[in-house]
Amino acid sequence: MRRPKNQQNEPKTAIPRPLAAAAAVLAWLFSSAFAQAQDTPDYFRQNCMNCHTIGGGRLTGPDLKDVTKRQTRDWLANFLTNPKAVLDSGDPYAQKIFEESRRVPMPMAPGMTRERAEKLLDLIEAESKLPESQFKGLQISTAPFTAADVQAGRDIFTGRQRLASGGTACIACHSIHDIAALGGGLLGPDLTNVYDRLKGRASLSAWLVAPGTETMQPAFRNHPLKAEEIHSLVAYFEDAARYRPADPTGDRVTFLLLGLFGAAALLFAFDGAWKWRFRGVRRPLVDAAHKRGA
Amino acid sequence: MNVRSQIAMVFHLDKCIGCHTCSIACKNVWTDRKGTEYMWWNNVETKPGTGYPTKWEDQEKYKGGWEKKGDDLQIRSTGKAKVVPNIFHNPHMPSMDDYYEPWTYDYQNLFNAPESDDQPTARPVSMVTGEEIAVEAGPNWDDDLGGSSIYAANDANLEGLSEQQRLQLSSVEQLVFFYLPRICNHCLNPCCVAACPSGALYKRGEDGIVLIDQQRCRAWRACVAACPYKKVYYNWFTGKSEKCILCFPRLETGQAPACFHSCVGRIRYLGVVLYDADRLEEVAKLPNDELIEGQRSVILDPNDPAVIRAARENGIQDGVIESAQKSPVYQMVKVWKIALPPHIEYRTLPMLFYVPPLAPVQANKTNDTIDHVSENLFHDIDQARVPMRYFANLFGAGNEGPVRYALAKQKAVRWHRRAITVGDVDRATADRMLREADCTAEEAEAIYQLTSLCTFEDRFVIPPMYREQAVEMLKDPHEHRQSVGFGFSAGPKRGL
Repeated sequence: MRRPKNQQNEPKTAIPRPLAAAAAVLAWLFSSAFAQAQDTPDYFRQNCMNCHTIGGGRLTGPDLKDVTKRQTRDWLANFLTNPKAVLDSGDPYAQKIFEESRRVPMPMAPGMTRERAEKLLDLIEAESKLPESQFKGLQISTAPFTAADVQAGRDIFTGRQRLASGGTACIACHSIHDIAALGGGLLGPDLTNVYDRLKGRASLSAWLVAPGTETMQPAFRNHPLKAEEIHSLVAYFEDAARYRPADPTGDRVTFLLLGLFGAAALLFAFDGAWKWRFRGVRRPLVDAAHKRGA
Repeated sequence: MNVRSQIAMVFHLDKCIGCHTCSIACKNVWTDRKGTEYMWWNNVETKPGTGYPTKWEDQEKYKGGWEKKGDDLQIRSTGKAKVVPNIFHNPHMPSMDDYYEPWTYDYQNLFNAPESDDQPTARPVSMVTGEEIAVEAGPNWDDDLGGSSIYAANDANLEGLSEQQRLQLSSVEQLVFFYLPRICNHCLNPCCVAACPSGALYKRGEDGIVLIDQQRCRAWRACVAACPYKKVYYNWFTGKSEKCILCFPRLETGQAPACFHSCVGRIRYLGVVLYDADRLEEVAKLPNDELIEGQRSVILDPNDPAVIRAARENGIQDGVIESAQKSPVYQMVKVWKIALPPHIEYRTLPMLFYVPPLAPVQANKTNDTIDHVSENLFHDIDQARVPMRYFANLFGAGNEGPVRYALAKQKAVRWHRRAITVGDVDRATADRMLREADCTAEEAEAIYQLTSLCTFEDRFVIPPMYREQAVEMLKDPHEHRQSVGFGFSAGPKRGL
């Protein structure tokens, strides 16, 4: 099962492993098939922008402005095509950026080839020369969010407010601290502390611009979030970070109990509805006679 | 007129001694296999009683038989709408408890028990679990026991009896019971055949025997639920339903069915009758009080030239027609009208008829002497201990008329023979009795002959079955012989 490593210390969710694996395989097939057809800027937007900007400052990964001046093209192309191999080889520069990135390793982007890496480097080089790159990322204000922002974010999360471009509401796959009883979806991780995990507004909003996991990418590729929606969601996640994540085992016990009591209630209801059903003839005769004292 | 032939039966209940020899003969021949332990294709019930399975006559519980709805005849247990919701389970079926848990005895213990101060015993062992069981029910649990508070008191035929009549049935010196042997009725309008979703049940064209194709049966058990007489049984081992086959392999070789052959009281009669298949639907829809006469009208006179001609046109062999002319069943049912169908209100038109039994008269106990209300101890039918209403429920679809007619005729035959052989009854009284019973002296003599002096050949007029011709309809014997030889149904093949 391929998962972005920055989610490694998530509480284990209750998705059955084969299901998650199947979803991942599907998503991978989907994304790789399409990655070939994309042009480079789109590829960058979808695969790189959730951790990197060009001239927008560092997020999880470093700002890529002028990266070709910091390292040789050959090293960069190598690193892009197989970041894990370079990191495992003990390369000191790779170790350095690994540490700087809070030990989140660079994932291998889907559909990455030597040729694509070269094209990406060309793109970064070209964009670095511009005064304002299109990949500067979403610049979110540092002003405190209002209660209205938080409420709007919650509405988007729960699906009460539809996403403008038709994306799926967060609750379908994610749970969060203040979703009652049955909780949200269990496919994705609990998002109560996602604000802390992604280290603040900038990275979180960058992530939301182009969610990069195998499961989220295909779901949101054609339904990108609007800037206002990202704003509201970040406000909501920032507010949520003040709470501890809901205990998933507690949820599961509630769910189990609800199921058991529901089933029992149904059985009683059926038994009541068919109270006079046929249950044999001889036994009731004998019982009735015994009751009469015969 | 669409003439068909049907093997029909009469059981003369006045002669049944309740020995169960018929049941045992049947059991030994057909149902001592695994999965059939609880089945009694032939069983004998003590009446009044609830029978086997318990209260099979109570169709409010078992929903068997046909029901007239408007102009339509519908199966009570199933239908287009009920098939799907009941697809895995027919709700109104007898459970094992309603039949009984079959058991045997640990006979080996009689030989193998270690020496001790007591006699070894053979304890009852369940044939279902193999564990020792406390037997508390059987296929005729109240055998020879009238008036029991559980079984006799719950007989479905007691409906319409006054409280006093019910009490009499269970009071000392009034107790009465008779026996009702039962097999499949091989009905003219069989509900089991109509209910089968797999088309596994069929009524044999040449003799009307109702059979279950063991290859096609899919264990839906719709027949078990549909048969109002509960004479189809489910074999839990083979996963197929089974029923009385009227010993057709014996019939085909000219022998009476095992239960008929073994009957000690010689109560059983068997013969072929011709009937008009075109009128079945119309008759099955008649109101309750016209059903008996309606069914009789379907049975055709085998001596009528028009009937004979129509029968020949329908491919009925001359041998079968001759056999129908000698049929004792035709005499008892159609000519003498002393044999009646059981519960014809289920509208399956059963082809097993019963001659209702005469019962002793009621008695009073004053001080220490017992007075009978009638001097004619066994002959006064309206003072009989079994109320007429009870017989009417069992054999008359609720109508006393046909039952009283049948009993009066039997009574008249007795008085007639009494006047001849003993002479303590004067001839004039006997003749008056015969007139009242709509009976001539010749008819009385014929009834007497067939009832009391009947030979094996009189009782069982088995038609030639012409199986060779029936077989030719399905396959050419010469071709079959050339492909596999006789003695095989499928040819031997090379390999495992």
